[in-house]
Amino acid sequence: MKRIDAVIRPSQLDEVKQRVNALGITGLTVSEVRGFGRQKGHTETYRGSEYTVDFLPKIFVTIAVAEDLVEPVVEAIIEGARTGVIGDGKIFVSSLDDVIRIRTGERGPGAI
Amino acid sequence: MRFSLIQRSRGSVAISKALLVLFLAQILSGSMCAAFADQAPQPDPAGTATGDKNSVSDAAGNPFMVPKPTDTTSPDYARNKKAFDEFQAQAAREPLALKLADGVGHDRIGSNFSWTLLTGYLVLFMQAGFALLTCGLVRKKNAAHLMMLNFTAYVFAFLAYYAVGYAFQFGAIAVNASPANIGGAPTLNHFLIGGGQWGFLGGKGFFLTGPAYDAGSNCLTLFEVVFMETAGYIIVGAICERITFWAFLLCELFIGGLLYPISGCWVWGGGWLSQLGLSMHLGHGYVDFAGSSVVHSVGGFCAMALALILGPRLFKYGPDGKPRAFPASNIVFVVTGTFVLLFGWMGFNPGSTLGATDLRIAVVAVNTNLAAVAGSAAAMLLWYRLFGKPDITMACNGMLAGLVAITAPCAFVSPTASVIIGVVAGVLVCLGVLFNERILKIDDPCGAISVHGYCGWLGAVSLGIFADGTYGVGWNGVGAAAYLGKTGQGVTGLLHGDWSQFVVQLGGATLLAIYAFGATFVVFKAVNAWRSMRVSKEVELEGLDVPEFGMLGYPEDAVQMLSAGSQSPQRAV
Repeated sequence: MKRIDAVIRPSQLDEVKQRVNALGITGLTVSEVRGFGRQKGHTETYRGSEYTVDFLPKIFVTIAVAEDLVEPVVEAIIEGARTGVIGDGKIFVSSLDDVIRIRTGERGPGAI
Repeated sequence: MRFSLIQRSRGSVAISKALLVLFLAQILSGSMCAAFADQAPQPDPAGTATGDKNSVSDAAGNPFMVPKPTDTTSPDYARNKKAFDEFQAQAAREPLALKLADGVGHDRIGSNFSWTLLTGYLVLFMQAGFALLTCGLVRKKNAAHLMMLNFTAYVFAFLAYYAVGYAFQFGAIAVNASPANIGGAPTLNHFLIGGGQWGFLGGKGFFLTGPAYDAGSNCLTLFEVVFMETAGYIIVGAICERITFWAFLLCELFIGGLLYPISGCWVWGGGWLSQLGLSMHLGHGYVDFAGSSVVHSVGGFCAMALALILGPRLFKYGPDGKPRAFPASNIVFVVTGTFVLLFGWMGFNPGSTLGATDLRIAVVAVNTNLAAVAGSAAAMLLWYRLFGKPDITMACNGMLAGLVAITAPCAFVSPTASVIIGVVAGVLVCLGVLFNERILKIDDPCGAISVHGYCGWLGAVSLGIFADGTYGVGWNGVGAAAYLGKTGQGVTGLLHGDWSQFVVQLGGATLLAIYAFGATFVVFKAVNAWRSMRVSKEVELEGLDVPEFGMLGYPEDAVQMLSAGSQSPQRAV
């Protein structure tokens, strides 16, 4: 089992969701987050004074999948989230020790 | 904290004692007035004696009734006596005409009441605009604080104005500036300080009793109290995010009871500035149609003194002295508030005729709108050029700058002059904001000093430049028969041949600015020395909402807003 976390542009969420859904995944969690990457935000002026918008709004997508789905899901996220401009985000893949379905108490791959 | 609570309650006892003494003095002076009231005009609280045949006039303002000439030495005496005799003979032949005139006069005053009160309600609604505008311009952690300041300004300044402000400002209006359009308020006829053409302070109508308990006078009260409130609201924009609530209440009592009414008396209450035309032969005396200086620059320069005393918000200036941006938290409020203010200004300026029978109201309304859009366009384009993007808040400030500047001259200038005045104001407000922030280093979160102070001064001066003489015949008692050798010539500015009007405008507007700044600075420097008017560092960092008022403006955002050093949430562009 693997956990896939992706930081993506808020505008690309629908694209990513549609592509990932088409692969038959059974669950997806999103949260609204703010952060910066290599670009370190950008500066704007407000009433003549400069300020830095360093934490940009992003969407954080979390998906738990069985091993065989890792590559297709990663591909789907890249396809949906890529615009080619700086700020497209990142994908983190990590191994998952256990999964528990709270309602039934089921554990392991069956609970995904 | 406990100690300060006790101190505070002692202070309020002293205030209530002072109020009681004032009130008793008022009652005593009222009964004394009654004892000496032989032929003195009587107040008319029911409104049943206001508006009769003496209120009837034609479109040019010539009265229907021909008065009996009293000055037998006047060169026109014979002619006036003949006109009077002819009128009397005519009236004797047609008694019904005089009765009809009574009805017409009452209707005329009635329509003027309706206009004055309705436009007063529009001005009242401007308070909602100010609340939205200022709340939107500050950080979210101070939203409740901003709303509470705007709200209590109305409440406390109104009470101060009721107690003493109205009497100081208009207690002698019948002496030199009788508002004929709404019945004249003949019972408000006593200067407390000065007299004749050199009145400095009105002295009748404290607590709206006696002479001020009158339908015509109360029509004026409603209209004028919302103007005073405007000055009271202006300061909020400059002192917010750091002033304590008790200090703010003192500011509002000071503005509503003293600062605004005193200078208001000089210009609108028949006081000495308005009479300079008669006393010193300076144009039509100091003229301010709807209050660029009387309301706006007095409020703006009062705000400047307060902002200077309070000092800038924490971290507004970096260690290098460079100003930092605290971006607006709600642009939707800012723009909506600005439009509410524009709408309210349709009462502020056209309403200042105090009557719908003065048809100049149409020109006033058009001029006001034109200056607003011209000011906004100028500010928007200048900012676009200077910084690469048109700042929405500065575009709004530009519109308000145009409105503030046209407020004094709106009745006396042409539409084209209004556009020019608006453009100059739009540029001035931008330069003023940058000047305050970068050079004077006076922290003014909403730009109140630049919008109301600088542009208010500009408006009063521009009247002295652009007034074209088409309106204001006999203004402040000057040139009713002829002015500059022409009959029907009204208030005239530099470009149309009357340099003395420009001189009195320049001097008067500057004097009012110095007065507002100086008086406020002296009084509140002393208050601040007694006890700091500013909240503690911890409170300012947390945001004033909870420490000062026990609740957040937006409780659902508590986690985000109360994190250390929170600024307004930044949104991606």
